[in-house]
Amino acid sequence: MVAVFGTLGYRPKSLIPTIRSTPDVDKVVFYCGADKKDLEATTKVAEAKKAVLEYCSTMKIAAEAVQLEDPFDFKKIALKIRSDIRKHRREGKEIAVFNIAGGTRPTSSAALLVCILEGVPTVYVHDVTYEEIPLPLLRMEYSRVLSNEERAILKVLIRNRSKDLTEVELARLVGKHKATVNHHLGNLIKKGAVRLEKHKRDSRKKVVKVEESTELLLGDDQ
Amino acid sequence: MKILVCTFAEGDHSKTLDAMRRLPYEKLVLVGEAGLEESDSLAKIRRFEELSGHEVDTELVFGDGFMDMVDQICAVLEKCSTNGGTGERNSVILNISGGSKLLGDAALFAAFRLGIRACHCDGRLTILPVLDGATAKDRFTAAQSRFIRGLGKDFKPLDAIVSEESASSRQAAERVIRQLRRLDLLRTTVKDGRIHVALSDAGVEASRALRRSSAR
Repeated sequence: MVAVFGTLGYRPKSLIPTIRSTPDVDKVVFYCGADKKDLEATTKVAEAKKAVLEYCSTMKIAAEAVQLEDPFDFKKIALKIRSDIRKHRREGKEIAVFNIAGGTRPTSSAALLVCILEGVPTVYVHDVTYEEIPLPLLRMEYSRVLSNEERAILKVLIRNRSKDLTEVELARLVGKHKATVNHHLGNLIKKGAVRLEKHKRDSRKKVVKVEESTELLLGDDQ
Repeated sequence: MKILVCTFAEGDHSKTLDAMRRLPYEKLVLVGEAGLEESDSLAKIRRFEELSGHEVDTELVFGDGFMDMVDQICAVLEKCSTNGGTGERNSVILNISGGSKLLGDAALFAAFRLGIRACHCDGRLTILPVLDGATAKDRFTAAQSRFIRGLGKDFKPLDAIVSEESASSRQAAERVIRQLRRLDLLRTTVKDGRIHVALSDAGVEASRALRRSSAR
């Protein structure tokens, strides 16, 4: 099965060229949403969504409109798109292309971020000519940038993010010697993935905190 | 020095003030498109910065091509990364929440190419997962990097490329070529009965990114 993903704002014309130019499309998944307090925006997005659904129905292509609860919440949108892409791939579906031209700025940027992290072919559609512009994306292979030990530490930290873990407690949870964990933590701090903070009750101790961005980095691999 | 670089357009002063409040910085650089200098929003930010005795640097990017914009933003980020006077490294964070959608997306792309910390700040601050210094050179083996940098958009005979690759055996060179093809970084064609290879668009981007990250 071949799927096309996209973000949609006011203009169906920003998404439809990609559906037309992709061979053998079986499914279209698009993300849309508007500020609920903005009646004009809500109406325009609903009209665009209806037009894309009608187009897909006429072409006998399955379509799924994903209504974003908050189209300005960058992190939630990125996590949702990433999870959907991974789900499609697990089900053996090919994602032919992701069109990031439509939608709010955070929606478009969140989609681009996911495409970089997941290595999905990405296109933009020119505002005036509606010409498709493929982006030469490279997958950011974090398996090369983060060692297995570093990934294991990050996963433990994310699972325990509500706790104030010291380096000793972290080493125990990871099942490695403190000196080994210390070495890996040093690397993770340099890469900006974790930080050390003072313990609330004992200023001699430091607690290890994972940066919020690490959640986006690992996605639902956590 | 800590430098905050923000994508910016008319109407973005509150987004930018939000980033200035949340992220520590010593110098503010705003990146925008044509008309930036005449913007009322820029005037407001300038007045605000003057209160602390600081100036705002502005950088203009031109053109409507996405990759052109990426290249121009990369140049700005590289300029900001090094202190012109002392040659010391600056700490740069890029906020992509202002400006047009195209500018913001191009800035995000540039951040990944250079391994520059980036964030989206619009009411909420989201630090993006760009690992400090993690760039294209971390994605490829030394041999893969050599091949990518040695090729261009124009086709070259495979035999010639393999024989030019003195650092590895013919078998190893052919293995690297196969790996790069699987990554969709190479295009191949047959001319006069000989296989010719060239970089694909993704390969050209890899080559640019490798050159940029080696220069840093």
